[in-house]
Amino acid sequence: MSAREEILQRVRAGLGKRDAAARRAAAEACLSDPARGPQPRMASDLVARFADKARSLASSVEQVGDMAAVPAAVARYLTAQGLPPQAVATGDVAGLDWAGAGLEVAARVAVDADRTGISGCFCAIAETGTLMLLSGPRTPASVSLLPETHIAVVPVGRLVATMEDAFALLRAERGALPRAVNFISGPSRTGDIEQTIVLGAHGPCRVHLILCGETS
Amino acid sequence: MTAAVRSQAMFFQARAARQARDSGLQKTLEKARPLFVGKRAKGLAGLADDGLDFAGLRAACEAIRRRVVDDLDVWLELFEARATAGGAEVLWARDGDEVARLVVDIAQRHGVTKAVKSKSMLSEEARLNEALAAAGIRPVETDLGEYIVQLAGEAPSHIIAPAVHKTLAEVEALFAQHHERPVQARTAADIPALAAEARAVLRQHFLSAEMGISGANFLIAESGSAALVTNEGNGRMVTTLPRVHVVVTGIEKIVPTLDDFATLMRLLPRSATGQGISNYVSLLTGTRGADEREGPEKTVFILVDNGRAALAGSDFAAMLRCIRCGACMNHCPVYFSLGGHAYGWVYPGPMGSVLTPLFTGIENALDLPHASTGCNQCGSVCPVNIPLPALMHRLREMQHERGLRPWRERLALRAWAWLAARPGLYRWATRRAARYLRWLTDESGRIRVLGLAPEWTAGRDLAPPPGRTFHELYAARKRA
Repeated sequence: MSAREEILQRVRAGLGKRDAAARRAAAEACLSDPARGPQPRMASDLVARFADKARSLASSVEQVGDMAAVPAAVARYLTAQGLPPQAVATGDVAGLDWAGAGLEVAARVAVDADRTGISGCFCAIAETGTLMLLSGPRTPASVSLLPETHIAVVPVGRLVATMEDAFALLRAERGALPRAVNFISGPSRTGDIEQTIVLGAHGPCRVHLILCGETS
Repeated sequence: MTAAVRSQAMFFQARAARQARDSGLQKTLEKARPLFVGKRAKGLAGLADDGLDFAGLRAACEAIRRRVVDDLDVWLELFEARATAGGAEVLWARDGDEVARLVVDIAQRHGVTKAVKSKSMLSEEARLNEALAAAGIRPVETDLGEYIVQLAGEAPSHIIAPAVHKTLAEVEALFAQHHERPVQARTAADIPALAAEARAVLRQHFLSAEMGISGANFLIAESGSAALVTNEGNGRMVTTLPRVHVVVTGIEKIVPTLDDFATLMRLLPRSATGQGISNYVSLLTGTRGADEREGPEKTVFILVDNGRAALAGSDFAAMLRCIRCGACMNHCPVYFSLGGHAYGWVYPGPMGSVLTPLFTGIENALDLPHASTGCNQCGSVCPVNIPLPALMHRLREMQHERGLRPWRERLALRAWAWLAARPGLYRWATRRAARYLRWLTDESGRIRVLGLAPEWTAGRDLAPPPGRTFHELYAARKRA
């Protein structure tokens, strides 16, 4: 008997249930009509909530009027941090006028030598101050992972309240999940040496969020 | 019990005594305990700001995990079908040896010389690192805590803080030795420098390894995905950079929907570290697309039994709900007196005291179900409401039913049963005992040496009883 059959038989023997077809139909019904658990009650200003939570997770946050203002904001941030004016970016933000802001930005997968990675996001979650990124040909996951500094552009129209809302948006706009859905909440951290929190474990040491668009 | 399970749990008393005398360990544990407890308390208190509470979320989390455990066969088949449709290969393993064989086989077929690992307790069950090394494949642990214990040649002592037993000086000595540099004097201010040193060393391993091995916090049936929750980002590295990704995970880890996963994520990080959310939460489905230039070309999910299937429908089915948050050990007075290594196998603390006998044989871990004060702190903090003390109690009963208790204990219990069935004699005997204990009490008002069981008072005093039995006190009160 295969390991699969043996394990499933052990489980079935233990549960001692019959009517497999009915149980399967019930499980499939549960999948096609997902129910939400207890939902948080939050103030309606998602931008303020998102910025607040993101800052509490050691991200820095600024807000600009529109996408055209993003390259200059990135240039200012890099200068302030003493970082060189180069970056790797995901395809969804690579088309901005980076050269106009004096930046050299390449759209490709990130390599170890990249100091700064710039990404957009699929959406962002106000409840926890979290970015939701989808991997894809134009949006490689390494851009938000390998460089020490990650700058993310977050259009305010892409803010949702909860992770459940983010999944609803994903189902509506994409259907299936991409290879990797990455939720990112601030710079990487570890507490493994004497429970002392250190920022910058394996992922970025700094996360800078540029909220883009007017708060309505 | 398979050869892969090399448990030391039968030596609990000896190991516990050694750990209790280790003053360095005791200091480390003393420092960690209030941090663990305080962070969780603060994290849960924050729920009130959003109109949420622990009890409500816990009921929801329990219901989600119950739904899966109650129809586990059905959910496994549904998950397998969707994971396969998403592009992953799904394999099954009966025990740890089979896990090790499957992983080594995948590695050899893909020409793997080095595997980077994100923390997986199941790979500890399977002793996977040993099997990989024996096959000439270098396993590199990349969670900082796991990396430290791997350098030390030890096992993790906590399921979410594997190196909680290690001091700064020990970490410095290990890094100096393995990174081939002189030992330096270090203070707490140097901890970021040590973390940066490990980052630089491990970065090169991430970039050069051909295979990534991870566990999964959850398997999501709706999307056929593995969910990974980490803070360091090593989980993302391991599942993004190498050509091959192998997920090693227990058959009980399924949650039905993405929305169920969202509910569990409100309690998992808060229960573990007090965080509202962990830094990285990744949902991994299938392999890289034809037009993608990164991500694994091959993704394999290995669904592991190793003792889990036998719990379905049993007295211990509640244990299959466990989401491995570590809250039970973080609140356990026994864990913090002894540290995780005393427990002798992969899982320490209350959840380990239940799982170790069930996975490795009740007769091989006789002391663990007794390593409890019965205080139920573990049960009260559990985010999926597992009645841990009741399960330990049931294991004690099973030891008795199978005649696994020492003859003196069995004799004493039989004598007590005989006495308790004879009320007149029972009252006479308990009156004598109450007077005797009163007589033992010294001028400090404590019993310092208990005559018949001196080991009971070797490390503690006994508070004296009032000198009269409950029956006498009750009768006196009724008359008054």
